[in-house]
Amino acid sequence: MSCERTDDWVDDVVASLVRRAAKRAPAGLSERLQEEWLADLAEQRGHWARLRFALGCSWAINVIVREHIAAGLRPAAVSAAASGQTMRLREDDFPFFTGRTIAFLLIVALHGAVLYGLAMGLGHKFTKIAAVPFVTRVIDRPPTQELPPVPRPQLLTAWYPLPRDLTLPPIEPDPKQTIAATPREPSHDPLPPPAPPVIDRVQGGPGAGFPSTADFYPAASIRLGEGGTAILSACVDGKGHLLSEPTILQSTGSERLDASALRLARAGSGHYRATTENGVPVSACYPFRIRFELRN
Amino acid sequence: MSLQTLKVLEAFLENPADSLSGAEVHQRCHLPSGTLYPILLRLEAAGWFVSRWELIDPSKAGRPRRRLYRLTAAGLRQASEVFAGLGRGVLA
Repeated sequence: MSCERTDDWVDDVVASLVRRAAKRAPAGLSERLQEEWLADLAEQRGHWARLRFALGCSWAINVIVREHIAAGLRPAAVSAAASGQTMRLREDDFPFFTGRTIAFLLIVALHGAVLYGLAMGLGHKFTKIAAVPFVTRVIDRPPTQELPPVPRPQLLTAWYPLPRDLTLPPIEPDPKQTIAATPREPSHDPLPPPAPPVIDRVQGGPGAGFPSTADFYPAASIRLGEGGTAILSACVDGKGHLLSEPTILQSTGSERLDASALRLARAGSGHYRATTENGVPVSACYPFRIRFELRN
Repeated sequence: MSLQTLKVLEAFLENPADSLSGAEVHQRCHLPSGTLYPILLRLEAAGWFVSRWELIDPSKAGRPRRRLYRLTAAGLRQASEVFAGLGRGVLA
């Protein structure tokens, strides 16, 4: 039931389209085109075919009217044909590319140009988002602390008084021993204790190629405007590699930033500047600071 | 001459004595109606085609009468010349 209604409705619409198109035809041609097109419409099978046909007629009438008005040669041509004469077709009446073909090619060319532009980065200019500028600084060395001098261990000496009447029995020389006793030279003053070695120790820190905090600044912290300075401890070998997991000595106040600081410290393994003693790289642990700072 | 016009002429040149309706040309050439009918009218106005109404009684046939197109002698000769110029053979 509903299909029949739909069919009737579609037929009414397409027939109405054809009639409206035919009415716009030049006088004398309107009735003929209406009857001709309605007859041809009846031979179309399917809703879509009929709808395409009717829309085509609406397009065709525009062409027919335009040619009829512009050229004004149709009556003359018809009369010439009726009188048995034929006229040579003008080349410009039949261009190789019709208007629709040219429009189609223009649309294809436009799409091609847009796609080419996007592929060549044209869209990047329009989609570029201004990044939040921020300045990062890595403070590589905390202020040195003067350590108190280590007291040198003192030797303990004990004096034991000997009794005055103590007599020691004479030592019998062993006849087998032929070692000649040589008189011992009088002893000099005792040698002074060796001076503690002077070590020129230069503490290490983040070195060349150390990651930037900009790469580890959490996006959420940027949005929230969080910032802060963390003090971390890193144990680094002589080649600048971490010997163990870095640890937080002083928090930034934000767990998010602390976690990013630890990730940054781990990512910097291999880029630390090793601590040197007398110019020789050694393994050592030292603190350093990482500051997350946003610039407005 | 456009490619679409050549297709229409080719459909008629297959059997020049036949009369074809717009719907039949539409089915043979697969041209949209918006392209086909201006070509038919243009060729008719140029004297290459003549057209007439189908000789039936619509009430008895159960369908409306169709407009039939046929090549004229001059149209046949000139269409053959066009295809000969294109190297696609001549239909006498």
